[in-house]
Amino acid sequence: MKEEVFSTLTMSLKLLIAQLWIVGMVLQALLAMVLLARKTWKTFPIFTAYSIYSCLVSVGMYALRPSGPVYLNLYSVEEIVGILLGFGVIYEIFRTLLNSYPALRNLARLVFQCMVVALVALGCIVLYVQSSTEHNPFLAAMLTVQEATRTIEVGLLLFLFLFASAFGLHWRQYVFGVALGIGLFISVDLILVTMRLHVGYVAQEVFSITRALAFNLSLVMWLGYLLAPESKTQRMDVPKLSQLEQWNQALMELIHQ
Amino acid sequence: MMTNLILAIALCAVAMLYFAVRSRGKHGAGQPVPVDWQAFRTLMDRDDEMFLRSRLPHREFTRLKRLRISLTWKYVGRIAGNAAVVLHAVEGGRQNTDSEAAQVKEQTVNIATQIRVNCMVSLAKLAVEFAFPSMQMTPAMLEPKYEALRENLRRLGSLEPQTVAPLATSI
Repeated sequence: MKEEVFSTLTMSLKLLIAQLWIVGMVLQALLAMVLLARKTWKTFPIFTAYSIYSCLVSVGMYALRPSGPVYLNLYSVEEIVGILLGFGVIYEIFRTLLNSYPALRNLARLVFQCMVVALVALGCIVLYVQSSTEHNPFLAAMLTVQEATRTIEVGLLLFLFLFASAFGLHWRQYVFGVALGIGLFISVDLILVTMRLHVGYVAQEVFSITRALAFNLSLVMWLGYLLAPESKTQRMDVPKLSQLEQWNQALMELIHQ
Repeated sequence: MMTNLILAIALCAVAMLYFAVRSRGKHGAGQPVPVDWQAFRTLMDRDDEMFLRSRLPHREFTRLKRLRISLTWKYVGRIAGNAAVVLHAVEGGRQNTDSEAAQVKEQTVNIATQIRVNCMVSLAKLAVEFAFPSMQMTPAMLEPKYEALRENLRRLGSLEPQTVAPLATSI
């Protein structure tokens, strides 16, 4: 009886994964079309390549799904290329964000390079110390590499948001959308890979579903931010003189306290 | 240990994204607030500090200096905030590099970003002085840059009255 329930549950989870995969493919195809129609490759060539690559890989992997070893080998290659393109996308966000601020470019580049060095060091430490409960050594190595590289990606994106916030930089809508989408996906992926290394194969289906959901949500964000019109800069209200006087008064009171 | 660190980084990133979306929804840069430079100059005056140091007991001087630093901190925060407002207002529509307005906008953005950098340095110095009140660090020269920013906004206001004219008078 227990086995029957377990088998039914596994089947329905696998069906859900397949459905999410199909939804993802549709969204990826839509995104690729929007990117090409809007000529986004001019400003975001790597992001456009990343999106088209993900779309093609999704279709290919879906077709190859039943064949185990071939699928695993292709999966590892696909993941490595995907991660490398991910780094490219983060660099593209950095470059586009700072395009409007030439005075900050040199400082930002220097800090960004320092961050890259620090995070690569952290990634190496992760590779060295992290152990896995995974029995398949190839898969264990793959997951550890994925964890290390995702850590670097998430760290870089975190730095970008903190830097922009510290300097009060304004994110253009589509740049913000791209950063938000990739940030959500790689953060969730990092959590999942880290958990997967420790929990093992037991909750594989749950991890796959969460990963697919996060990726589909990122696709929706990318589409939403690309299609939504750019919000106009709000006209500033001139503060009244009485506000300034109030502030002066408060200041004088504080000074003479 | 390493797993906890990685999970903390990932969760920080998720939280950061959440706050980024929230602050974007609230029209990011906010409203400009005028800066009373007379009061700011008084707060930054090192001679005043020397006078207080020589006249007051150490404990009282420390208390007063921390109060002074916290007020200065607010002022520097306002200056930084105003620079961000200017960046936000001017950054849009700088594509037309031929016009005079585009050049002035470029200069304005440069000055505003320099002010942000100076403010960050200034805040760091204030934090050190707050922790060690006996220390006296060189104050950041924010006023000349701020005046240049105002001047640029005035010029820009005369070239494009509909966009940034109110800002020149309100920062």
